[in-house]
Amino acid sequence: MTLSGRDAYRDELTSLAAEDPTLVCLEADLGGKNHPFQTAHPDRFFNVGIAEGAMVDMAAGLAAGGYKPFVSTFAPFAALRAAESLKLTLGYLNAGVTVVAPYAGVSGAWFGTTHHCLEDLAVLRSVPGVTIAAPYGEAEMRAVVRNAARSGRPHYIRTGRNATYESLPLPDGELPLVNWEYQADPEDVCLVSVGEEGTRLALAARAATGASHAHLVHLDHEHLSAAAAELAGRHTRFVVVEEHRSQGGVAEALALLLPRCEVTGVGAGQEWPSTGGDHQEVMAALGLDLPAVLAAVARARDGRPTAAAGHAHACVR
Amino acid sequence: MTAVLEGPTSAEAPASPLAERAVQARRLVVDMAASERGCHLGGSLSVLDILIAALDRASAGDGTEVVLSKGHAAAGLYAALYVSGMLPQNPAPLYGRAGQPYTGHPGPKVPGVRFPTGSLGHGVPYAAGWALSRRIGGQSGLGIAVAGDGELQEGLVWETCQVAAAQELGNFVLVVDRNGGQNDGLVADISPLPALTERFAAFGFEVAETDGHDLAALTGLFARDRSAARRPLAVVAHTVKGKGVPAVEGKAGSHYVTIDATRAAKWKRAIR
Repeated sequence: MTLSGRDAYRDELTSLAAEDPTLVCLEADLGGKNHPFQTAHPDRFFNVGIAEGAMVDMAAGLAAGGYKPFVSTFAPFAALRAAESLKLTLGYLNAGVTVVAPYAGVSGAWFGTTHHCLEDLAVLRSVPGVTIAAPYGEAEMRAVVRNAARSGRPHYIRTGRNATYESLPLPDGELPLVNWEYQADPEDVCLVSVGEEGTRLALAARAATGASHAHLVHLDHEHLSAAAAELAGRHTRFVVVEEHRSQGGVAEALALLLPRCEVTGVGAGQEWPSTGGDHQEVMAALGLDLPAVLAAVARARDGRPTAAAGHAHACVR
Repeated sequence: MTAVLEGPTSAEAPASPLAERAVQARRLVVDMAASERGCHLGGSLSVLDILIAALDRASAGDGTEVVLSKGHAAAGLYAALYVSGMLPQNPAPLYGRAGQPYTGHPGPKVPGVRFPTGSLGHGVPYAAGWALSRRIGGQSGLGIAVAGDGELQEGLVWETCQVAAAQELGNFVLVVDRNGGQNDGLVADISPLPALTERFAAFGFEVAETDGHDLAALTGLFARDRSAARRPLAVVAHTVKGKGVPAVEGKAGSHYVTIDATRAAKWKRAIR
């Protein structure tokens, strides 16, 4: 049985900590009971309580003391409430702290707007030196956590709630810069997927349209710059699918990185999701569903890159 | 139960090497006030003796880390680091200058400084995290945060006190430079702090109240072995803004000061 992103994170970190005594795990009251790290390594597990800012700053102190802290809380509380702590700890100090942020996007669904986070990539992408990852499926999450633990570099890892996704094939268990999940005609549009739901939708759109599909795990400027070059080597028209505000998201970044290509996207616009429903229903209310992706592909194929619905990114030539 | 400790006093103590450092450091702070940039003079002078005593403990090499959380007192920190032998060169001529790390709020490019402070509140959890790292490894050494009393208006300070007490971080020390002032006026007028020692005690801290300019008392508090302690220590250090420079001592207008060289020379001669 495949694990959800956060369960895979917990399991992988717990395993790694058996070999690496410098790994420590911090939670802010959202790690749940029977956290596997706490069970296996109780002397290196700290539930600091509902204190996200203190947790991130204390992780800076732990890193200065020689440890590799992994801290976790829901994305809105990590990336937005503790934003200044992330700027200083992950950015300015460049401390070897990894922030694992479940409940990204609207995976919190019916829990409401306070528990959504459609802005985290915009915040973290503007902080230099932070490796940002949005793994899809258990295998990618495990690889991202391994890399974070091994590198000692600051990481922000975005994931969802409890949904599970069948992992994409990972050659040698390593993460490629661009995972070319499906390659079709270079003259055709290429889907670019970001994150769990963005990838789920892109996979469905690829099956329906036969378009190429490139999947991205790392979303920071350094990785995205290199990925953009690889993308531009194979295609000229892209439709990015991401569960994030269009402003400050990956499509916007790729449009700047690829001025000679056509980059459009399907992302959350400027609405506040304020009604109930499950994850996919809340996404649909934001214009993030398969029909929206198919429409975006059709527009890109027709050379009509500007969306009437207002959710698509402007094409940059 | 409250746990208010009486700090040792040294009203009759003769001048010590630390006292000589304090005089030297105050002169350097005045030099920085006489720089093109000026400096947070009042708070740098109020916190100076606390820093000199804390850095003296850190210089023992037992893994004690001192974090100036009230980072606007950077001039005081640079001066204290220098007279404590932790800076390779006199920071005063370099303060605020292009290409030099001695900015108006300190950062990790300054030798002896690990964390960026000045956005108030953050230095407290940095020090708590350091203390936790020492405890996990079974190592001695304290995490000492030095905060301003105005800074206690930041929620992050109390968030960290809650965590430190819950985690029984006995090697975490929070020193409050209780000079009574903040940017816009008096703490008592803007957002007063009644029953401050009782607040820390209620959080589960040991609490000591002391004269924040009594170097022997401060040194005594920082010298204690806290590796087996289960309760963090709060030190409420009563201080005077502008302490040691008669022209500004106790005056609210000393918060940020820029002076000329003539006045600086006069002020330096009057330092006691």
